Amino acid sequence: MLNRRDFLRVVGIGSAGAAAGFALAELNAPNPARLIPYLIPPEDIIPGVANWYASVCRQCGAGCGIVVKVMEGRAKKIEGNPIHPISKGGLCARGQAGLQVLYNPGRIKNPLRRIGERGKGEFQEITWEEGLTILSKNLKELRDRGEGDGLYLLTSPISGHLKLLLKNFMNAYGSSKYFAYELINYENLRFANNITFGQNSLPHYDIENTNLLLSFGADFLTTWISPVNYSYAYGHMRQGRPGLRGKVIQVEPRLSLTGANADEWVAVKPGTEGLLALAIAYEIVEGGYYKGEDRGKWLAALERFTPRDVAKVTEVAEERIIGIAREFSKTKPSLAIGGENVSSYENGVSNLVAINILNYLAGNNIGISGGIIPNRDIEKSSFIPVNSLMQDASKGKIKTLILYDTNPVFTTPGAVKVEGQLKNIPLIVSLSSFMDETTLLSDLILPTHTYLEDWGDNFTEPSVGYPVATIMQPAVNPVFNTKSVGDIFIHLARNLAGVFQKEIPWTDFGAYLQASWKMVYNKHKDMKEIRETTFEEFWNNLLSKGGWWKEESQAGKKVYISVNKITPYLPKGPASFDGDDKDYPFYLTLYPHSSYMDGRGANLPWLQELPDAMTSVVWGTWIEMNPERATTMGIKEGDVIEVESPFGKIYAPVCLYAGQRPDTISIPIGQGHKFYGKYAEGRGANPLDLLPFKVDERTGAVSHNSTKVKITKTNSPGRLVKMAGWTKELGRDIVQTITPEEFQVKEG
Amino acid sequence: MKRFLLYLTVAIITFTIGYNINLIYFSDRAPEQPINFSHKVHAADNSIPCLYCHIYADKSTISGVPSVQKCMGCHKIIKTDSPEIQKVVSYWEKKEPIPWIKVYNLPDYVYFSHKRHVKASVPCQRCHGDVAKMDRITRQTVIFGVPFLRVSPLKMGWCLDCHKNGAKEFIGGPVRNGTDCWTCHK
Ligand code: SF4
Repeated sequence: MLNRRDFLRVVGIGSAGAAAGFALAELNAPNPARLIPYLIPPEDIIPGVANWYASVCRQCGAGCGIVVKVMEGRAKKIEGNPIHPISKGGLCARGQAGLQVLYNPGRIKNPLRRIGERGKGEFQEITWEEGLTILSKNLKELRDRGEGDGLYLLTSPISGHLKLLLKNFMNAYGSSKYFAYELINYENLRFANNITFGQNSLPHYDIENTNLLLSFGADFLTTWISPVNYSYAYGHMRQGRPGLRGKVIQVEPRLSLTGANADEWVAVKPGTEGLLALAIAYEIVEGGYYKGEDRGKWLAALERFTPRDVAKVTEVAEERIIGIAREFSKTKPSLAIGGENVSSYENGVSNLVAINILNYLAGNNIGISGGIIPNRDIEKSSFIPVNSLMQDASKGKIKTLILYDTNPVFTTPGAVKVEGQLKNIPLIVSLSSFMDETTLLSDLILPTHTYLEDWGDNFTEPSVGYPVATIMQPAVNPVFNTKSVGDIFIHLARNLAGVFQKEIPWTDFGAYLQASWKMVYNKHKDMKEIRETTFEEFWNNLLSKGGWWKEESQAGKKVYISVNKITPYLPKGPASFDGDDKDYPFYLTLYPHSSYMDGRGANLPWLQELPDAMTSVVWGTWIEMNPERATTMGIKEGDVIEVESPFGKIYAPVCLYAGQRPDTISIPIGQGHKFYGKYAEGRGANPLDLLPFKVDERTGAVSHNSTKVKITKTNSPGRLVKMAGWTKELGRDIVQTITPEEFQVKEG
Repeated sequence: MKRFLLYLTVAIITFTIGYNINLIYFSDRAPEQPINFSHKVHAADNSIPCLYCHIYADKSTISGVPSVQKCMGCHKIIKTDSPEIQKVVSYWEKKEPIPWIKVYNLPDYVYFSHKRHVKASVPCQRCHGDVAKMDRITRQTVIFGVPFLRVSPLKMGWCLDCHKNGAKEFIGGPVRNGTDCWTCHK
């Protein structure tokens, strides 16, 4: 029992405890949250309610329509524009990560002028007025000296009115040196299409409605041409037509994500895909599936490529070649496409021509639904082979180089030595949102808006069987002190005065865009597809829909391919590789990483932590190797190996990958940045350092599958970070399988 | 020893009680605001409807604090000699927003939409108390001048109470999906 003293003590302790608790809670009380009102509320913003702006994705050339969710002036999410004919509401990981382009801490926040030595990265912030004056003074001097042609402009392949503006600017200035460069380009494909179908453009590949897709190394689900659109089409082809499931055969030495989705994988020997296509063509003609009058001529042209002979070179069994040929001819409609992998051999164009003619021989799949629907003619692309650019640089022809949205130092083979050549250029100006390897070497940096802050438009190639124009509009106000590229050139034109004023009279790029669309409207307003009666209405619809498209498929015209015309372009033999077989036993195939593409996505943390779909690797570069071959060489997964070509070497950990031929290793392109913000720098290795400078002579497109390599195990530190640990089921019956025989018995 | 344990237990229990009394009944009770704004003057004496100032309440998840421009809309003319109004004017002239202190605060894992509730004609007073009687905004009911229980504890059980039963007054039955986790936690 408590006595009185104890009772008092208890009461005392109790009150002291309660008071202490109360006081502590008081001290612990969080700072009160504030409610900060607007000073003057913006009319179009309701806090907490999102505005969605339609625009276009610029993370690759596909031109997907997007909608950007903006709340209180901040972009929060990007989705596919559901009514847009290319994205159809879908968006790839790179498109999703666009927000991190906008809000990236590595963005250049103010115009910069180099103060230290070139390449040292010492810059001083200047004002826009100063920056533009430096450049326009330089341009004026150049022109007064009569060296106007010394102004070079190198951009990524852009389309639409920005391209037109840049062209007008260069013309008015008196320079013919406006070029575009990108590592992953489709120049070879355009060229091959011109030879076979007479159209120098990318057609619409109607994967959606085909019944048999024969794909030669086209990884169309992740990176090839228009992945979001093709993924949609692929889904429809497989599951969107009740009772009908299209079949996919994928021919490639390394199993890509698309290959993993295919019904059949043909692990052809690298460099012989074109020959395989010709053997299939031979069988189609020989087997009587091709019924044209010139059958004899075709047979004569193809006689060297009998399945029996080709089987030896390609390491694909004769019966299999014949089987594919028969299936391809009998299934209607069928479609053969040649992708990045085959176009990147040194004889890329030839391979693509060989693949193209399959579509013709197997029943003229051209111009029909489920086949190839040729595009309208497009203007010649301004693609420049880097070697000719570099030659001009070394000869001192380039006086001033303006770069926009392109990073040639990173995206050209190491053997080109772009960095050294750039030294010969007196003034390099970079219009870039990020400090990348090329921007670091420039003398003047004028930071540009990202695509979420800028005006613009995009005319998509390939379209989807009908023309698609997508409008880009600013979803948010500029985050930093940057400018629109269009505005930079308009401003320069104003500073240079004279003839420019006449050519480029607009005050800003947005006004220019609207004026240009007004011209388009006035020209076409009588078309039945344009229902709006005034331009204002048309423009508003353009902005709210996200663009303009015709919404109906054009029937393509049939083509006739003449044997004689085509024969000189057919592959003569396997593609050649640098490095002899004895010293360099492995074929090297490089492929664009599904999230970094040619490396531009490497500074976005979301993409860095997104596991690769096939290997589940994150954060670094890895070398894919056949597990059995690795075992015989004593190499384990995660071992860092040295990959050496006749031109250079890199180090990276091995990832054992069963979808790899024993005589081939594959490395994704995209990592290994030296300067590209904190998320990209010092991660992995750039496999382009291994490459010789080889191009397909006919187009100048870089052949990134053109060397052989040797590998050596090293003890260098390095780590392979993989999300999936184990490829075996360990008896857990996770994937339940059934043999075809059992299936037939069960399903009747 | 035994006794010491007893003291300790008592101390711990009372400490917890004291702490929680503060937390539940006293914290953020009626913070002093940067301007001595009176809801009573505005909502009762001058019968200004809530939505006149809290303009987003029927349009958005948040009800919105009136912009400084809104205050100035009236106070350019009205009561310009009052020192409190002069504070408003000085904010306006400095082009600075007034840093009001938040009284009703929900954690960020709760999704709450004013619009939904206003559209279902739940009166503001149901959760915010009889604001028109308050000079300084407070979360306590006041009985004989002594602050007492909270108007709304803003606890989950309290929300669910209304979602399950109380909603009859407004929508004639329980809220559809009103007890679904994802209705409020998304
Ligand atoms: S494919 Fe992806 S990156 Fe390319 S435009 Fe479409 S969403 Fe953007």
